[in-house]
Amino acid sequence: MYKVFSRITIIAILCIFSLSTSSVAAENISANHVDLDLTRMSSTMVYSMVFQMVTEPQKFVGKRIKMKGAFSSYYDEESKRRFFGCVIKDALACCSQGLAFETFKPRKYPKDFPSEGSSITIIGRFDYEKEEDGIGFPIIRNAIFIK
Amino acid sequence: MFDQLFFYLDFPFVRYAIIVGTLISLCSSLLGVTLVLKRYSYIGDGLSHVAFGALAIAAVLKVTNNMLIILPVTIAVAILLLCGGKDARIKGDAAIAMVSAGALAIGYLLMNIFSSSANVAGDVCTTLFGSMSILTLKPTDVYLCVALSIVVLVTFVLFYHKIFAITFDENFARATGVNVTLFNLLIAIIIAVIIVLAMNLVGALLVSALVVFPALSAMRIFKSFFSVTVAAAVISVICSLAGILVAILAGTPVGSTIVAMDIVAFLICFITSS
Repeated sequence: MYKVFSRITIIAILCIFSLSTSSVAAENISANHVDLDLTRMSSTMVYSMVFQMVTEPQKFVGKRIKMKGAFSSYYDEESKRRFFGCVIKDALACCSQGLAFETFKPRKYPKDFPSEGSSITIIGRFDYEKEEDGIGFPIIRNAIFIK
Repeated sequence: MFDQLFFYLDFPFVRYAIIVGTLISLCSSLLGVTLVLKRYSYIGDGLSHVAFGALAIAAVLKVTNNMLIILPVTIAVAILLLCGGKDARIKGDAAIAMVSAGALAIGYLLMNIFSSSANVAGDVCTTLFGSMSILTLKPTDVYLCVALSIVVLVTFVLFYHKIFAITFDENFARATGVNVTLFNLLIAIIIAVIIVLAMNLVGALLVSALVVFPALSAMRIFKSFFSVTVAAAVISVICSLAGILVAILAGTPVGSTIVAMDIVAFLICFITSS
């Protein structure tokens, strides 16, 4: 009885391990997959594309986005939440806009994050976060930093 | 490069930019010939500054469709400038300079005092230089531009002979029975519409280039009114298309790139003619 129980336990552990490794593998595969690579585009196109994402987010929800920009963070006193952003500039460099992002693995700020204004490249899934008042904002979820 | 271009053309907003850019450059070049010949080359600049001032007023009043304010105000000032005639107390270039500088100053002042935007400098910069406006158009903007462009083109074709007559000699046109006042009014309205549309393409400060350069380039090579008008339209459309494509491929500001193309075309025509 003990032997049967121990074998079942081992098989169960192996199954859980294989499941967890396959999910990690799947995450790795999906991490490399990108639906929209903004790093391949000119600055004019990137700015226009991000403008489209901000004004018509529903067209991009669920897509994996790769983008390069300047790192920025902001602490919202009301929601007690720190937001991270990837900021890009237009061709005249007078206008800038950005997308908020959430990292795939929890990180401590500022230790595990780049310095403000430094260049970053991220990959993540585009989403639209709705707030309680119904107004929302676009955000890149499960973002990973690319070196 | 072509792969990249076809990749960009997959996005609707790039196609919208090309459609609107072509139509605006076509319309502006047609009237450009008349304005250059009537010595009103600088009116485009003055009216675009007025449109900027009207845009600031629309922003302050929080009007959703800012065209409801920009278009009537620009048309009214265009009528005042072009139809003021010899009886006006402040004439010609002085009136244009006054309106141009005044509208720009008031517009910027209003945007600074009342704007709810976090980036006033950015908003002003975009409006004046048209950095991205053409690549951020909505389908409704495109429909409006197409409709207004058709109105301008049809009006120009229908009244081509009358416009030709008052361009060269108003007194002779009046003697032959042309209602000069009415057609000056028509030209004023059309040029105001074109200026408002062209602000999206090159920005308020660079609108004059769209009006003046294609006409002057065509005048280097051709001599008749008809051939100059057709050549100006062709040069303007080619320069705008080339400017938009270079801007999206090289990441340069759209308005400045289009104007740079117009300058290159003018230099080519100038060298060819001499």
